[in-house]
Amino acid sequence: MNLLGSLNYHLKVNLLGKAYLRFDRMRLSWRMRRAGFWKEEQLAPPLFTSPRLKELISSHYLKGRYANGRGPVAWVTSGGPVEFLTALGYYVLYPENHGAVCGIRRSAEGLCIKAESHGFSRDICSYARTDFGAMLGGKTPVGRLPRPDLLLCCSNICQTVLLWYRVLAHHFKVPLILVETPFLYREALPHQVDYVKRQLDAGVELAEKVAGRSLAPSSLDRVVRRSKEASMLWAEIMSCGKQRPSPITAFDEFIHMAPIVEMRGEQFTVDYYRALLAELKGRIERGVGALASEKKRILWDNLPIWYRMKRLSRLLAGRGVAMVASTYTNAWGELAEMMDSSRPLESAARVYLHPILNRGTGHKLETIKNMAKEYQADGIILHSDRSCKPYSVGQMDQREKLAGEMGLPALLLEADHNDPRVYSDEQAENRLEAFMEVLGV
Amino acid sequence: MSESIGKITVPGRKQAIQSYKARGGKLAAVFPIHYPRALLRSFDILPVEVWGPPGIDMGLGDAHLQAYTCSIVRAGLSFLLQGGLDPVDMIVVPHACDSLQGLGSILLDFVKPSMPVLPFVLPRDSGEPARRFLAAEISHVRDELCSLTGKNPTPEEFDAAISGEEDADGALAELLSRTAHLPVGDRELYRVVRSREYLPAEEFVKAARGLLALEIEEMRPGIPLVLSGIVPEPWEIFDAIATAGGRVAGDDLCGSGRRLYPRGRGDEPLTRLVDGLLSGPPDSTLGSAVDVRLAHLLDLVGRHEARGIVFYSMKFCEPEKFYLPQLQKGLEQEGVRSVVIESDLDRSMPDQALTRIEAFLESVT
Repeated sequence: MNLLGSLNYHLKVNLLGKAYLRFDRMRLSWRMRRAGFWKEEQLAPPLFTSPRLKELISSHYLKGRYANGRGPVAWVTSGGPVEFLTALGYYVLYPENHGAVCGIRRSAEGLCIKAESHGFSRDICSYARTDFGAMLGGKTPVGRLPRPDLLLCCSNICQTVLLWYRVLAHHFKVPLILVETPFLYREALPHQVDYVKRQLDAGVELAEKVAGRSLAPSSLDRVVRRSKEASMLWAEIMSCGKQRPSPITAFDEFIHMAPIVEMRGEQFTVDYYRALLAELKGRIERGVGALASEKKRILWDNLPIWYRMKRLSRLLAGRGVAMVASTYTNAWGELAEMMDSSRPLESAARVYLHPILNRGTGHKLETIKNMAKEYQADGIILHSDRSCKPYSVGQMDQREKLAGEMGLPALLLEADHNDPRVYSDEQAENRLEAFMEVLGV
Repeated sequence: MSESIGKITVPGRKQAIQSYKARGGKLAAVFPIHYPRALLRSFDILPVEVWGPPGIDMGLGDAHLQAYTCSIVRAGLSFLLQGGLDPVDMIVVPHACDSLQGLGSILLDFVKPSMPVLPFVLPRDSGEPARRFLAAEISHVRDELCSLTGKNPTPEEFDAAISGEEDADGALAELLSRTAHLPVGDRELYRVVRSREYLPAEEFVKAARGLLALEIEEMRPGIPLVLSGIVPEPWEIFDAIATAGGRVAGDDLCGSGRRLYPRGRGDEPLTRLVDGLLSGPPDSTLGSAVDVRLAHLLDLVGRHEARGIVFYSMKFCEPEKFYLPQLQKGLEQEGVRSVVIESDLDRSMPDQALTRIEAFLESVT
């Protein structure tokens, strides 16, 4: 930390930035409460907590913009064990979340092209290309990303992230903590858990060295408790989708999941999810659904198609199809019970070994079947995501099993989560229309 | 069928399989890339590697895997579903990438072939936690093999199998280091090199030593190049390089040069095996650091006096593709030229690729 950097941070973030973002939230909230604000006929008005979410995300990236010079900065994979970094005072950036922001704001394509112009193949993950495009000087809607002092790569979401983080480590010349999570074809074996735990121990040591301070057990305990509480609240929020009509759709969840992914372990995240849950409970009490008229309910598998969220949500809502849950958002809540602040690293080894993406295709099928029953789903869309092989491989068999064994209509929709150049509106929407006909709407 | 190369004879894949079976041994079909060969051999199981095969109809595999999955995996699954792996007693799927991970998983959960499927995870690090993990992982696979075969090899048998594989790796290393003086073309050379994918170690040693015995004083003609990639498929790459006036001098291929494991250190057989497996050359599928890979490539260029590097890049292969821009930039900074030729198992080499190789060779002469 240097004095100038710290002063600059306090001026631009704590004084000016926060005041502006608070004002912006109040302005948005006020607008939302005005008559005539909402013109969509098929979709309920946005959740009133939405301006607060915008404030949280903007504040996160604003802090990042001025983080260098104030304290250590780590770039982390989305499923990474972040708690010890937060407890050590790192500003934590998730390139995948940044990729999603770029996808939603339609700047991912330009960043991908930038990366490709530097030789990166179009066959590699579009999140990675988005990140490389930003790394190589491309314009990002968040302004500027902080330079990392440390990288943390956890392979529990894919093997690709290690390759991605090797590129980052080479570019930024910074150390890389690798937490490799052996893929669980079956139940976790003791040597697999032990391996993750030992890597976490080594990771803490390196993170302490880079940060220049020791990890205080009390700080870690506090962060893990918050992380667990936020994850449990997130699980409860998603459970609201079991109600008829559902007060929330998976499209809403894709947006509202940002804090649980990139701001776990923070008190403001816990507070935010408490407020969101309260609002959803209010909707349930009043019988307010996320759609004006909910006729059918479906699930979503895989990452969203970030650049087509609004269009797809309108298309489905127009026919009364509520997308009530997704395996993707579910992943950030389903392991909350396993977190244990009294044994933070031991429990982290288990938690971070068990995300759906680190488990077999059969486990994912069972998860979908259970979700289909719990959420009373009438069908499922399996997004076959060109940029995410671990999520997509297995879907063809899963579709057959869901249709054959459960009689659940299942659509395999070819797309890419961040690169619109491999997506065809006409083709996708024709398939969705046919799927909705099968659903009877 | 066996094939004559110069004065030596290399048994073909089918012949090797039949003769091993005929003498009572078992077979394991093994997908790429890194796995404990010696462990299998200590159970009298011959590992026969599945790198496709190329040119196969992928229709059956495509019923399970999307078209953007690597073609080695799609072809391998198609081959299995066509009955191509019927002679084997088990399938081993090392965890080399997301596509192979997916293959292992759908084999266990959905395809469920008649033979057992054993996944195997090799860590992407070489520190103490990784060594402990790998030792435990190998022991776990060993327990599974005990229950599958009813055998329990003694430490001496395990040790002998490790020594046999180390000899074969040593012979392969020698072969790849002396290619400049072998009186055969690259196609013939790689018939021997790639027989490591299916021959028992002792037979591979014979084949390699046989070829090394033909060594000549003068240097093979052709501009020396390093060939880097997953697998030299389609084989036309060798013809293209030869036609353009080049030859493969240095090998950075996953199936050969990146599997030159040194002799492992340690008193216990398991420790030796672990040490050997974790001490091999850098490899994209092991997530090696860019700097380490770059240094290795520069070393290959220097040792073989190569004039450039041909990256033979397979479609949809993320491990290879992530590294290429930074490797090429690093090579360029060191004055080493390189070219990327994209290929795939189910395609023949396009004329455009041949032209690019020609142009590349012209630029390095």
